[in-house]
Amino acid sequence: MSFFNNYIYGSNEYLGRLYLIVSSLITFGLITLFSISADPLSINSSFMRQVIFIIFSLFIFLILNQINIKTIHDNSTLIYIFSFLLCFVPFFLTPVENTYRWIDFGFFYIQPGEYLKCATIILIAKYLSNHQLEVKEGYIVIIPILIALISSFLVLNQPDLGTAVIIFAPVLPMLLWAGVSGFTLFLLIAPVITIIAASNNMIFNIWGVLMFIIFLAFQGSLLKRIVIYFANIFTGLLFPFFWNDFLNGYQRQRFIDFLNPDLDPMGSSYHIIQSITAIGSGGLFGKGWGQGSQTQLKFLPVQESDFILSVIAEEFGFFGIAIMMFLFFMLIKTLLDIAFKSSDYFSSLVIVGLTSILFSHIFVNSAMTIGLMPVKGLPTPFVSAGGSFMLLCFIILSLVTNFSKN
Amino acid sequence: MLKIENKADIFHYRTLLFILSFSILTLLSRYFYLQVIEHERYSSKSQVNSVRAQATYAPRGLILDRNGVVLVENYPTYILTVTPYELDDKEKQFQIISNITEISVDELSTRYKKYYQGQFLPTIIAKNLSFAEISQIEERRLELSGFQYKRFDERLYNDVLKDAHILGYLRELDRESLPFLDKSKLYRAGELIGWQGLEKQYENELRYSKGIEYIEVDTYGREINRINDNNIPAYPGKNLTLSIDSKLQQFSKNLLTDQRGVILVSNVDTGDILSMVSNPSYNLDIYRGETTDSEWRDLLSNEGKPIINRNIAGLYPPGSSFKIITALNLIENGLLDPEDSLMCTGSYLPPGSSNTFNCWKEDGHGLVDLNKAIAQSCNVYFYETVQLIKLSDWTKTAKIFGFQNKTDIDLPNELIGQIPDKEFFINTYGRWGWSERGVLLNLTLGQGDILVTPLQSLRYINHIASRGSTAKLKLNANKKVEYYDDIILSEQTWDRVIKGLYDVVNSEAGSGWRAKQSEVKLYGKTSTAENPHGEPHAWFNGFFDFEGQTFSLVVLVENGGGGGAVASPIAGQIVKFFTNEQVEIVNK
Repeated sequence: MSFFNNYIYGSNEYLGRLYLIVSSLITFGLITLFSISADPLSINSSFMRQVIFIIFSLFIFLILNQINIKTIHDNSTLIYIFSFLLCFVPFFLTPVENTYRWIDFGFFYIQPGEYLKCATIILIAKYLSNHQLEVKEGYIVIIPILIALISSFLVLNQPDLGTAVIIFAPVLPMLLWAGVSGFTLFLLIAPVITIIAASNNMIFNIWGVLMFIIFLAFQGSLLKRIVIYFANIFTGLLFPFFWNDFLNGYQRQRFIDFLNPDLDPMGSSYHIIQSITAIGSGGLFGKGWGQGSQTQLKFLPVQESDFILSVIAEEFGFFGIAIMMFLFFMLIKTLLDIAFKSSDYFSSLVIVGLTSILFSHIFVNSAMTIGLMPVKGLPTPFVSAGGSFMLLCFIILSLVTNFSKN
Repeated sequence: MLKIENKADIFHYRTLLFILSFSILTLLSRYFYLQVIEHERYSSKSQVNSVRAQATYAPRGLILDRNGVVLVENYPTYILTVTPYELDDKEKQFQIISNITEISVDELSTRYKKYYQGQFLPTIIAKNLSFAEISQIEERRLELSGFQYKRFDERLYNDVLKDAHILGYLRELDRESLPFLDKSKLYRAGELIGWQGLEKQYENELRYSKGIEYIEVDTYGREINRINDNNIPAYPGKNLTLSIDSKLQQFSKNLLTDQRGVILVSNVDTGDILSMVSNPSYNLDIYRGETTDSEWRDLLSNEGKPIINRNIAGLYPPGSSFKIITALNLIENGLLDPEDSLMCTGSYLPPGSSNTFNCWKEDGHGLVDLNKAIAQSCNVYFYETVQLIKLSDWTKTAKIFGFQNKTDIDLPNELIGQIPDKEFFINTYGRWGWSERGVLLNLTLGQGDILVTPLQSLRYINHIASRGSTAKLKLNANKKVEYYDDIILSEQTWDRVIKGLYDVVNSEAGSGWRAKQSEVKLYGKTSTAENPHGEPHAWFNGFFDFEGQTFSLVVLVENGGGGGAVASPIAGQIVKFFTNEQVEIVNK
């Protein structure tokens, strides 16, 4: 019992809360999967598969808990290189759905790109913690961004635009957490906003003026600020060429579909339309468990993974979604609490990074189901069916547990 | 080094917490908007959604000849479709299908990609399934979720007339062509569409109108209930009755045997085409079942160009029939007295030139007037008289006979010939590289840069036969009779020319004497058109009155030799066919 107590309440009071939230999410996910599985008790149903994945992941979780945090810290470069090489493996295998994202283990797939995310975070955290005294210098951001860029470029070739973008998600929060100056962070965000603003002349002009004011407000060498300002403007001007020459047809199409979902109702925006219909028809209290007509009649695509939130919204209504959102909020908040209370710098940074990954998944996935973002194959942590990502979530959980022990 | 203390700032913690709260609230408010405020709208939409709309089909219209003989009909086959979204395990299921149908998995995958049109729409992957195959598929229903077989009509070509050039054929519609089609017709990839010939021309009439039936589906996407309330029935396409007489068509085709060429027969009064033969042709059966790429390549690269309908897309020099153009100019404009005679010594030396131009008859025709010149096709007469005509007048006359326009026949891909005018010569040979007198020597014989299609030639002879007012050529018997622009010339001009054409066939030394028939008065003009591809093309253009109606015909034998020797006997045979089989042709 003391072993159990150690795990649940351990040295960190927040861990218990974390496990409680995770268990709730998993339960909610399983209930939903049970509802949409045609024959839930057969071994091939998404429900049973999920149960098996969870048991398997729990097993890995317990093993990884035995690893000392110092081992991870000292071998972070090795871990990164290993994950990096793992991403090359699919290129030697037969492509799955024309992509090289997956390694097929028969019963389930592993997506090496997922693990590269974690390895990237650990490596960045190590770098930042080793250079803690220099965080106020602008150049500190270069190495972390370079690491993220390398990882991102690799998965972009698999091709996996979604994961490639998500790899960048932890960088900013980690830099913020590490204490990098506000102006430096602004310089990092500015080009992204510039690119988005470039789609519209009016918005681009407003952004140009706004950026000018911000640059005036910050301190530093005038020449440097002017150079960076114009670099931003040029990025915006060059973006249309990048859009036309570097993105794949399907990537552009997804983005266009996102901007205008009614354009092609039987094409890829079909997903968004069906999802919104399912969600909207759910109402305040939902149609009841197993009663979602959109879901049950299979109008809703990939409902067990990408669109599982739409199923919850249809069957349990806004009420169910509110509970989910509350759980997600508490999950992230608890993780931030743990990071904040963590006694050492490296652990704290790793946890913030991992938290960012979970949060970006939650946000992108939810936003996609309600048409706020393009369709991306990003599953919801602890809820969506799928072995590879469930395992990753448990690995993250195990890392957090480990790192909060100190 | 692990001992570096965590210096996380409460301000940073709060910043991240703020971003988190803001994001979650944004999501939540959007969910609230959709689920509570807009609930009604999506609720009604979701009720419609559980019902799936499915297209239903009806037969395509038949194609008949003028006597009601069925030329093209439908025969039922079964096709196999697959709904991509409902597939469990594509590889495995394709393997099963491959075992049943003996189509390779690769081929199945290729078709799957080619006709794919969306996750939720059925894609056609196999055709011509036998009952044995269907029952095997039915037996393994549970393993084959997503696969469905459906009745699907294919075209069956009757042995009476398998003319690819007229009938055309259907082709499976691929995704690339879809955007160019009429959206309201609800075409889907993999369906058959008229691709050539009449099948294409009358696609809108022949094609069935699609129906829609609504079915309720269960979790597996299986049909559980039919909802008959709002079904829209499918209607068969309209039948198409052709002006073609399939017996005459067959008869004409046999006349050409293995020679390349065309035979056209039409009713001058109605514009109905009774026979349109283009030889060589090819067997329409290649469009049924699977034709291999190599068979296709053979067909396309065949020297005889069987793919081309020579009637509408073959361009030939017209030869001596264009002497009539010169003759019309001379008489109508009073440039000479038709009774005046010239001396043909067998050659002509244009003034100021050292090149002599020969008549086809080496020792000359002797004294020749206009009538004799037409009847015996004397070159020298027209060499001399064409010198009285301006190039612009000459080309103008050629153009009013429609040689610069399409005949508007109801077939796709018709070509236009070429009547070279002043502008053409300047563009081609430069301002000083040609002379008006010189080119006219060529043009008056229908040689040089002139090109016409046999169908244009038919229109030309119809204009003459009807004295200027002739019906538009057509293949659809039920199409309203329309007329080409009238050609207004004096009666005396027509008389002269038509008398000349009569003598071509019926006078003693007429160039077309071999076409003469005792019971029918045949008018015509032979042409022997020199060309760079070998022997001259043999032409006969003519018309005759029969049972109170006027019929016309064009015979062209590619590289066949002399018009009189080769084309005229064929024309005679066709006229003879009329006297033997009179009832069926005239009664409509």
